[in-house]
Amino acid sequence: MMRRLLNILFFLIPLTLHAQEATVVLKGKVVDSADGYPLIGVAVYVDDSKTGTMTDVDGAYELRIPQRKCEVTFSYMGYDEEIRLYNTKNASSFSKIVMSMNAEQLADVVVTGVYERKKESFTGASATFKTDELKAVGSTNVLQSLKTLDPSFKMMESTQFGSNPNMMPDIEIRGKTSVAGLKEEYGTDPNQPLFILDGFETTLETIMNLNMNRVASVTILKDAASTAIYGSKASNGVVVIETKAPARGRLQLSYKGDFGLSLADLSDYNLMNAREKLEFESLAGVYKDHTGNPFAQIRLDNLYNERLKEIEKGVDTYWLSEPIRSGFTHKHNIYAEGGEDKIRYGIGLSYGDVAGVMKDSDRQTLEGNVDLIYRSGKFQFSNKLSINWLDVSNPVVSFAEYAYANPYYRKYNADGGIDRYLYYPEDGVDDYPVANPLWNAHLNNWDKESGFGFTNNFIFEWFLSEEFRLRAKFGLSKQDDSEQTRLSPLHTQFDDVGETEKGLYSHTQIDELSYEGDVAATFGKLIAKKHMINAVGGFNFSSLQRQVYGYSANGFTDDRFDAPSFANGYPSGGSPNYSQSLKRAASFYVNGGYVYDDRYLMDFNYRLDGASMFGTGNRFRNTWSVGTGWNVHKEPFMQNSDFFSLLKIRGSVGNPGNQNFSAYQAFSTYKFNGWMTNVFGTGVILNALGNTQLAWQETVNYDIGTDLTFWGERVNVTLDYYWKHTDPLLAVITTPGSMGVTSVAMNAGSQKTQGWETTFRISPIYRPREGINWNISFNATSSRSVYANIGDSFSALNESGKTSLAGTTRYYDGGSPTAIWAVRSAGIDPATGKELFIKKDGTYSFTYDVNDEVVVGDTQPKIEGLFGTMLYYKGLSVGCYFRYRWGGQVFNSSLFQKVENIGTQDVYNNQDKRALYDRWSENNREAYFKGISMVQKTEKSSRFVMDDNSVVGESFNLGYEFPDRVARRMGVGAMNLQLTMTDVFRVSTVRVERGIDYPFARSVTMSLGITF
Amino acid sequence: MRRIFTYIAASVLLLTSCDAWLDVKPYDKMSQDELLSDEEGFIKLLNGIYIELNSDMLYGGALSVEMIEIMGGAYVIGTDNAVWGNYSDLASYQYGTEYWRSRFNETWNKAYSLILNCNLLLENLETTGVAFTGQNYKVIKGEALALRAMLHFDMLRLFGPVFSRNADLPAIPYYKAYTIVPNAQMTAREAAEEITNDLLEARILLANDPVRTEGTRLDAPTDGSSTFMYYRNLRLNYYAVTALLARSSLYFGDSKAAYEYSTEVIKAAETVFPFVDRSLVTGSPADPDRIFSSEVIFALSHTQRNKLFKNYFDPSRIPNYVFRMDNDLMSSKVFGGGSLTGGNQDDYRYRVNWVATGANRYFYKYSDMVETGNIRNTMIPMLRLGEMYLIAAESRSEDIGAGLAYVNMLREKRGVGNLQQLDRQILQYEYIRELYGEGQLFYMYKRMFSPVLFSTIDSKNPQPSDAIFTVPLPDTETENR
Repeated sequence: MMRRLLNILFFLIPLTLHAQEATVVLKGKVVDSADGYPLIGVAVYVDDSKTGTMTDVDGAYELRIPQRKCEVTFSYMGYDEEIRLYNTKNASSFSKIVMSMNAEQLADVVVTGVYERKKESFTGASATFKTDELKAVGSTNVLQSLKTLDPSFKMMESTQFGSNPNMMPDIEIRGKTSVAGLKEEYGTDPNQPLFILDGFETTLETIMNLNMNRVASVTILKDAASTAIYGSKASNGVVVIETKAPARGRLQLSYKGDFGLSLADLSDYNLMNAREKLEFESLAGVYKDHTGNPFAQIRLDNLYNERLKEIEKGVDTYWLSEPIRSGFTHKHNIYAEGGEDKIRYGIGLSYGDVAGVMKDSDRQTLEGNVDLIYRSGKFQFSNKLSINWLDVSNPVVSFAEYAYANPYYRKYNADGGIDRYLYYPEDGVDDYPVANPLWNAHLNNWDKESGFGFTNNFIFEWFLSEEFRLRAKFGLSKQDDSEQTRLSPLHTQFDDVGETEKGLYSHTQIDELSYEGDVAATFGKLIAKKHMINAVGGFNFSSLQRQVYGYSANGFTDDRFDAPSFANGYPSGGSPNYSQSLKRAASFYVNGGYVYDDRYLMDFNYRLDGASMFGTGNRFRNTWSVGTGWNVHKEPFMQNSDFFSLLKIRGSVGNPGNQNFSAYQAFSTYKFNGWMTNVFGTGVILNALGNTQLAWQETVNYDIGTDLTFWGERVNVTLDYYWKHTDPLLAVITTPGSMGVTSVAMNAGSQKTQGWETTFRISPIYRPREGINWNISFNATSSRSVYANIGDSFSALNESGKTSLAGTTRYYDGGSPTAIWAVRSAGIDPATGKELFIKKDGTYSFTYDVNDEVVVGDTQPKIEGLFGTMLYYKGLSVGCYFRYRWGGQVFNSSLFQKVENIGTQDVYNNQDKRALYDRWSENNREAYFKGISMVQKTEKSSRFVMDDNSVVGESFNLGYEFPDRVARRMGVGAMNLQLTMTDVFRVSTVRVERGIDYPFARSVTMSLGITF
Repeated sequence: MRRIFTYIAASVLLLTSCDAWLDVKPYDKMSQDELLSDEEGFIKLLNGIYIELNSDMLYGGALSVEMIEIMGGAYVIGTDNAVWGNYSDLASYQYGTEYWRSRFNETWNKAYSLILNCNLLLENLETTGVAFTGQNYKVIKGEALALRAMLHFDMLRLFGPVFSRNADLPAIPYYKAYTIVPNAQMTAREAAEEITNDLLEARILLANDPVRTEGTRLDAPTDGSSTFMYYRNLRLNYYAVTALLARSSLYFGDSKAAYEYSTEVIKAAETVFPFVDRSLVTGSPADPDRIFSSEVIFALSHTQRNKLFKNYFDPSRIPNYVFRMDNDLMSSKVFGGGSLTGGNQDDYRYRVNWVATGANRYFYKYSDMVETGNIRNTMIPMLRLGEMYLIAAESRSEDIGAGLAYVNMLREKRGVGNLQQLDRQILQYEYIRELYGEGQLFYMYKRMFSPVLFSTIDSKNPQPSDAIFTVPLPDTETENR
């Protein structure tokens, strides 16, 4: 197997036969079983002698062989080896040799983007998914599907931004390794994994925009043995995506379409109705005058009565429905491919129009791609070009503003028009006006983004010999994005602004240019049928230049005329924005693998990285990893049993690094003190202090795992236990002012993480030949991290966390990064309505002391993952996947801020129903919440920490592959249909408002695939 | 196999040669290497520090006319919160309020950020291979050292203990280089030693400062060539460093040194910093040189100095707050009271700087002269000749009375007659007359550990105490250690 994999082409050795031996010439042609096309470059040789030849451009060969019984071998990369016996009489049977592609072999290959290894002999922890598997669980994008398939791949749910299609998610593989503060400081997410598309590094955004129908496979590399080849970029894991390569044959046209419908999931909102809200306000004392002014009291009484009157008239406005719509999404992909063995081509066009569940929330993408592969003898050239266009629009009024609006206001005035204010205080009344969210929404405001870019990846391969291959790659990518926002002069934001300064237009242009080159040599040889040696060595360089610039203009006079040319001028004191960063990296890497008799595996990686972000003193960094494995099922003592088809135990250790940091981290930079010059001219002062001594965050990863397949391939199990030690951590620390800077990036302490993950799949019914398969899958992951050696480095963060309104994260040695710190609460004292706290020493007290904080929970669940089942019956498939989460806690900020702690201003916003009910009063002494009050401040206590156990119906799907004859009758080659529902339901032990600025969505998608 | 090695060798070669390729310089910001690659860069950085001294957190406000003068009892501060805001808290030395904690914090941070700039400049000056013309290297280094000392000195005077009583209490950290680990707090005495050492080194480096031979050199070229060695009174020149040594020596209790340094400046001043021309004061009463610019040994140049007047002293601000001296104090003590106080309404300092509007007189020191664009309209005096006379008087002998001659010399130039005797009280009035609105009074009371002369009624004047004279270190300094 291994030899075949690497046996790409033969390096021809001239035929030398003994003169005395009689010879005969075999002539023939080698073709592909699938389409009858000639195969070029197939190695043809006799026995294990060194005599052989290769097929020419027509698939034809001529081989002189000895006139005796011998075996003739036909070998071709990716195809089953064909061995024919020559019995001195059957020369004619060699005239046509049919070879077929080895599907199984291709499926069991781990693609790291740098090299490919057979899964069986790979020592790293990885998971590979084919396009069908990805499409079966969802059709939004690759990453959404990955999270359903692999428990270690986590897409952080954003309570703030919900299902906003234009918001890039935070992604983690096997948890975080970075301390808070870095994202804020550097703008990039330091926990984000590395993305590799067709062998070239790419961005999260590109992957999010990638049309799923173009994807052939996705591989997640998790541990050091598999990621270390990416060196200092790899500590967060690597996601390797391969797009489809054009298939050979006559011109073939395929169409894939997705049609989806998304609906907002507002079930987490538990807002008061008009009557409840008014009652709540009344209880909170909104309509009571505290100054003792009788006229003021009369005004408040009138206000109350007016509102009550409206309610009696039936006003009970449901504001949440206003910004919401049913989002209809459609995506199309047309791909034409064909060619013969020498030249293959593919031309594709993809279009996607995603409509979010909020009005004005759209994402349109258009992508054209041209794939070309040219193969001639020992050379192969391939080029992938893709051109993309993007058009995005976001709602200008956030969902939160609708959630704030009180239900006792009417949406429209008596004339059916929209008022600017729902409530405007009379002259001389010290009260806030209440803006109407519909007013700002109905104006000519917009928030748009458009982008245009292209990527061209060129790969040249030279098959020097059977063992030896050279590869050169060059990729170039250019992406220009432009973000434009416009606020109408009538926007309530400009109410207090001078007439000539109303309205705002701003434009930001983001230009990126990146290129990457790579030269590598690959070597693979099986020696004495027992020793398999693989080696890859190469050199890689890359550069990313990013330019951001923009300006703002104001002074619009008309709502309708929104072009920047209508602006009156620039905001006073404003200056153009401009920033540029250039990151360069150059690396040298080697990977070696040794397999003894398919049983004992060894892998090592070494990479030397140089990057411009690293200071001159620390420019180069070493990354290494060692992996080892044992294929127990290949041992002689297992050979008698067919029970295990795979039983591998593997382990690895290595130190991949993290490079997601700012470009000019190591530089001290200066700026002009632009506010003043003097008789000496201009002056400059320090802008940012670089730290050349900063040691880069390094994570030593250990992983032990096992892969099992048994019971006639019916059961698949992988189990991994890992521990990571990040030392030193890199954190931004507040410093004493006397250091001249208020914060510095510093190395402080370390973090230890340990965890395990498992996937388990069983097929109670497994009849692959009949196309019947029922499987049940279960996967789970769990991890726990602690800080060590951080001492008092983070005391400032701890202090600010203690005094902040809702901050519950603390940094202490032995503490978990995800722990929730708060003072324990014994509940509300029925007699007084006051909260009773439990002090550190266990005594009770009514006084809150922040120093009594202890760990009261952890947001990291004890176990989480997915379970699901899939049934294939002939062409029909039905499946469902559920996400579960158990053993974690959450600090319920909805309760904390929308039930208690409703301040004097918040009381005018609509609130959670629980703010009215469940409150302590003389009549309701057993309440969970304090009495209604506007002035009382509630402190962070364990009363708001709740168990967060949940089950989510993440993906339900139904698919049907039309039988060939049906498809043919419909005039197409093949056809399939699939229905996917995502996030169908969510059951949770905690009720918390999710989707503050943008609601979450449930969606159903129908996908259609046709090949002509 | 040989081929593999060839490729590997080629790669290694490539990798080493790409070190230069990896050396990326920021384009949107000035990198240190780029900026400090020539003399011009060092000069710009030094000038940048001078410019930043004009920040309103430092000498463009807080440490010249605003915060520090309120602490020095210079102004009448009302109690109406709507008008006076947080000032009444400061006037009663309530340093612990949130507002003043943050104000002191920002002053502290700003001062130390400029100290960091000085240190970066000095460090790079040591390692750079740049060739400097003439005296430039020594002057740049000398001025940077002096700036570092001056800023530390003022932080010590503000946040440190009363030196004459508690010199061995922890005071401030002294930074002589950038470190990633914060420096420990030093005692006031240790800090004093560092300040003195830096100033002494600066003085040696500035020994060939053109100010000693060519004066302040206000005749800068206008053809665009370098003005670096001109306007020496706008830089910490040799005499400014000497004057600073006189000031700091007196503060640190070294009278002998204070006398030496102050008299050195006084001697040289005859030609370099001549007393203001009588005609400028009396001859053009409508447009006098209110800051006596020729006497200023070191001044900042603030292009919008006018804002100091507009924001704090301009009577047209009423009904908003306006800073001015207590009427009784002015009429019966500072500029009245005869031989008992030395106060006299003929005093130029009164005639020029105090202008009546209604029943009150307002402070016009920072109001512009008519001739716009004149460098004098930008000057915020940091060190002036008058103070040298007063220091000489104070430090001549244990007995203050022995300094009478110096006070009388100064008074003669101010258009008022000789005093017959000198005591601490009269000397303090003289300091008020000379340095009012220049941010030195608080430090004077702190140095002498005497009541703050805020009014004529002794019981109203804040009594000396460590509590009023020592501002607590900012929270960010103490918490983040």
